[in-house]
Amino acid sequence: MSYIEEIPCIEVLSAVVFIVEGVKEDTRNPAAIESHLNSCPNCRAEVEHEQAMHILMQDVLRRSCDEKAPDDLHRSIHEELLRQVSGAGVTEVVTQISMTEISIELDEFGNVEHREIQIEQTQVLRFTDDKE
Amino acid sequence: MASKDLVLESAEDRNLRFERDALVFMDPLYAAALRYTKNPEDARDLVQDTYLKAFNSFHQFEEGTNLRAWLYRVLTTTFINSYRKNQRRPQLAAGELEDWQIAAAQTHTSDLGKSAETEALENLPDSDIKRALHEIPEEFRMAVYLADVEGFSYKEIAEIVNVPAGTVMSRLHRGRKLLREKLTDYAKELGYSTEPKKGEKP
Repeated sequence: MSYIEEIPCIEVLSAVVFIVEGVKEDTRNPAAIESHLNSCPNCRAEVEHEQAMHILMQDVLRRSCDEKAPDDLHRSIHEELLRQVSGAGVTEVVTQISMTEISIELDEFGNVEHREIQIEQTQVLRFTDDKE
Repeated sequence: MASKDLVLESAEDRNLRFERDALVFMDPLYAAALRYTKNPEDARDLVQDTYLKAFNSFHQFEEGTNLRAWLYRVLTTTFINSYRKNQRRPQLAAGELEDWQIAAAQTHTSDLGKSAETEALENLPDSDIKRALHEIPEEFRMAVYLADVEGFSYKEIAEIVNVPAGTVMSRLHRGRKLLREKLTDYAKELGYSTEPKKGEKP
């Protein structure tokens, strides 16, 4: 049997932001909040109102804040990125090493064994000029 | 060193990957930049700087993790470090964030007050919503914007803004409360009553 602590309305009202965010579990005492809400119609009404207001606020804010980036900003960022890649402001050091190891062996039966091993390595280091 | 690190991506490939994956967030980043800086010129510059910084540290970004959240973090850090230096801004008093739970304690709202508040919000024009957002302190505005418009969780916001998760919760709580108070004030100015209606004349 588990004991559920009784808490006052004030503690439930303080946790409303967690309930509205859907993270009641992150509060100090989720079980006590749940139990209080089941028995207190006032707090239940308050939580329902806060949830409805939260959804409404989200709708209103999303509707109001939907500005599009100006076309010339899209262009200017695209061009700036191309400049970054094509060299301005960036130093690229490419080191390529290619090595071939050749070994020829002659065994006691007179067979010639010829081996070639090629080793290639490429390393690219990019240095970006810091503008600040 | 992970084997992945050995695979060298050409500058062109990296650029293509960045353009494909990161540039799609330009519109929402611009809208967020407008809320941060409060003006279109700075918002433009902030988004451009954000993309340049993001591009140049794109190799640090781990593929498969949340690119959108990462871009918002670059945006927010860039804004905090570069754009707000010259701005005078009200500082939050020390301790103000910790005692928010006491401040949160409130009484129950009456049913009439509830329906009036809902109605006031529904009727406000977009310009008033933005004005109210711009008038609340920056810390609150960022938290509310990232949560309510962008849908980030409070733990994601803690990463983006680089503050503890508990602080984000307190900012969300206080920011939303302030925002609603401002909107209710505007609604009153516009003539939408937020007071419970008393017995109306026949």
